[in-house]
Amino acid sequence: MKYSHVRAYGLATMVVAVVTQAFAPRVEAQRGGPGGPPAPITPRASAPIDLTGQWVSLVTEDWRYRQFTPPKGDYGSLPLLPAARKIADSWDPARDEAAGEQCKAYGAAGLLRLPTRVRISWQDDAALKLETDAGTQTRLFRFGPTRADAGGTTPAGERTPGGDWQGASSATWDYPQAAFAGRGGGPAPGGSLKVVTVRMRPGYLRRNGVPYGAEAVLTEYFDRLDVPGGDSLLVVTAEVVDAEYLATPYWTSQQFKRETDTSRWQPTPCAAR
Amino acid sequence: MRNARGLVCAALVVLSATLIGQAPQIPPAPTGQAPAIDLSGYWAPVLHEDFMERGPGSEIADYGGFPINEAGRLWALSYDPSRVTLRHHQCEAYVTPYQMRALGNFRMWEERDAHTQRLLAIHLWAQTTEGHRVIWMDGRPHPPAWAPHTFRGFSTGQFKGNALIVQTTHMKSGALRRGNGVPQSDQATLTEFFVRHGDHLTNVTVVSDPVFLSEPMVRSNDYYRQPVDPGAWLYACDDGEQILDRPDDAVPHYLFGKQPYVREFGTRYKIPVAAGLLGAVTMYPELSSRLRTANETETNALLSPAGGRPSETSKVVGGDARDGNVHILPVRDNVYMLVGDGGNIVVQTGDQGAFVVDAGEGKLSDKVLAAIRTLTNNPIQFIANTSFRSEHTGGNGVLGAAGQDPSLPGSFFVQAAPRGVTGFFSDPSSHATMMAHVNVQVRLQAAGAPAAAVPADTYLEDRRRKFHNGDAIEFFYQPNAVTDGDSLIHFRRADVIAAGDIFTTTQYPVIDVKNGGSIQGEIRALNEILKKTVYRHQGEGGTYIVPGHGYLADEHEVLEYRDMVVIVRDRVKAMVDAGATLQQVKAARVTADYDTQYGVNTGPWTTEMFVEAAYNSLKNGR
Repeated sequence: MKYSHVRAYGLATMVVAVVTQAFAPRVEAQRGGPGGPPAPITPRASAPIDLTGQWVSLVTEDWRYRQFTPPKGDYGSLPLLPAARKIADSWDPARDEAAGEQCKAYGAAGLLRLPTRVRISWQDDAALKLETDAGTQTRLFRFGPTRADAGGTTPAGERTPGGDWQGASSATWDYPQAAFAGRGGGPAPGGSLKVVTVRMRPGYLRRNGVPYGAEAVLTEYFDRLDVPGGDSLLVVTAEVVDAEYLATPYWTSQQFKRETDTSRWQPTPCAAR
Repeated sequence: MRNARGLVCAALVVLSATLIGQAPQIPPAPTGQAPAIDLSGYWAPVLHEDFMERGPGSEIADYGGFPINEAGRLWALSYDPSRVTLRHHQCEAYVTPYQMRALGNFRMWEERDAHTQRLLAIHLWAQTTEGHRVIWMDGRPHPPAWAPHTFRGFSTGQFKGNALIVQTTHMKSGALRRGNGVPQSDQATLTEFFVRHGDHLTNVTVVSDPVFLSEPMVRSNDYYRQPVDPGAWLYACDDGEQILDRPDDAVPHYLFGKQPYVREFGTRYKIPVAAGLLGAVTMYPELSSRLRTANETETNALLSPAGGRPSETSKVVGGDARDGNVHILPVRDNVYMLVGDGGNIVVQTGDQGAFVVDAGEGKLSDKVLAAIRTLTNNPIQFIANTSFRSEHTGGNGVLGAAGQDPSLPGSFFVQAAPRGVTGFFSDPSSHATMMAHVNVQVRLQAAGAPAAAVPADTYLEDRRRKFHNGDAIEFFYQPNAVTDGDSLIHFRRADVIAAGDIFTTTQYPVIDVKNGGSIQGEIRALNEILKKTVYRHQGEGGTYIVPGHGYLADEHEVLEYRDMVVIVRDRVKAMVDAGATLQQVKAARVTADYDTQYGVNTGPWTTEMFVEAAYNSLKNGR
């Protein structure tokens, strides 16, 4: 009997501890003070990592493809379907220029592969803005569901893939698995920004005309990794799923280094070559 | 009891309402080293980046995106991929930064304490080269500077946020890029981040290499989770004869400025040749503007060492222990390496007296003796010298006087020995017997060393042997290596070779031409070591080599050192054959790709002295 008491009180203590932990972040988030109305926690306020600032590409992989425009038909490493090869093999930068389509390599699925500087800032409490000096592009990562009005419509009222190279992005904070399992206490020390982008205007995965299509879905994870005693890195792990042109999901990861000297920000227009 | 149950029920109700009714909240932090992410399982690499490098291999002069310094660039330009046909290079594993980019499957699993279930380590097995990494999670420190290096290095990890952060030191030298010679030195350190997003694992590697990189090299590798064991984990390799009748002092390489394929890459892809050679700037958006100013003159200048400047100096920190203490490193079985008093010391223990190879510089002899006494209660019975150099014989007197050789009292030799001639035989019960090649004795006597510090038990020809403390110990004379009295001393059962200054990990070989040293002899001696070694697995482990200075090595370090000496010899020889003067050879910076590792411009043994020794040696046909 005595043992049962001990065991029962132990169980109760555990449960109370779990409940306390489950409440703790919420209480932390309310910030309204005792008796006051709870203030809604915003994505900005709940950010587990700080991605804001200026970052510069470290083009250390696929260097030749990214620092230069590769020759036509040079699409090594890419899991292309025949339809994609057919388009890539007919790539004509002069035609893109003539059509005013010189930004095709600067769409969301290819933008962060380019050598560029990136500025990330909060546009408001629920949207992060990412700007690049290469091509002078802007992406908006809005927390919450994708806006229904993103993209465009045809005169007949059909939804088009998007009127914008950067498509429509929805963002969420992605936390470590164990944190969700309720271990430990206090706010999460880390996490990722997850961004899903759809309705992109068809563009190029690689400057030399390797295409992605209107139905492509880009899923990205933005991780900030601080090297002990060294640089702060931004690593963007990206997956492009495109049943029209890709045989498998196309996975890459791009790294950037934080810059405190922002003087090298040099906006340039898109270039098709 | 009833109250407790009620409390439990109430808590569960509140908990359920809380979890169901709310949006995801800021989650709590992982505690201690509880895994923030589970990396266990089977992982396959995604090859959507750098497929050419990771598959068929990289092209010569495709060094873009790598922040290599001048030494790294020249090392790569000198590299001939056929070097891997040399026997000792054939089965070498990959260094960790490249291993993580290799083809083939990966497997990760946790090791936990059987009783506490505390996480001790995370293991990673790579199919290619059967690369087994252990990432220690138990807070243990990294080994000292004089500990051996491996291709995987020594790794410790901790979870931080949503990442596993791993720090790796003690890697061997190897390829930072596969197949085209971009090097990573044995001084490189690695920081890694493992981040998992669902079935997608990203590994970010940050390599810092003071020898070959001007800033850290950052790359990221992607893997996807495999639901079942792919069942292919082995990577068998044995070396063999690939090119017959090649001299053992031939190492494929290209002289500076003579890399014949340097323009192929740029021509094929319509890229300026300089683009691949400019180092750190090639990683950044500034590359395109930088290339606008790169002309043919600059490009050609990048193919050879920059002239009109002094040699670079070593960027290595802490290569030799100089903290005023003597440190013991167990090598294998009953063999130990002692570091701290000048040259490295080897101590073999057993039921007989200690067998000591080299005695250090003599500045810390009391500490050396104290260290030996922690290893054995028996006195030092034998001291063998690998050469007469003072960093190895300076402690002879003190260590010898502290020893005794019980094999001599009562023997005929002691009774019959003329007193005062050999010194030690006069009172063997109070002095260790000292052994060396006879030229060590001659050089020490000529230098006026006291009799008690001069080996009396000498040998004249190519081999001396002795069975002691259960091991066969062999001395192999190496004529005209760094001096004319060098010996390699091999503990056969323990499979440990004391190399003396024939091999170090810290400096160019101290080829003492005036005392019989020669560059050809040095190369022969290094090759003699390589003829005696057997690696355990994928080009590492197996026979241990105790260098005259620096860290405990195996055949890989000797091999790279041999390659270096051969390559520098070839460069000097080419200039000698072309009629160059010593000053012209020095001005050509023939060691430019090795100076950030071994270079010294002041002190008792400088880069110029090494080049001069090579020059004079070759001029004299040695």
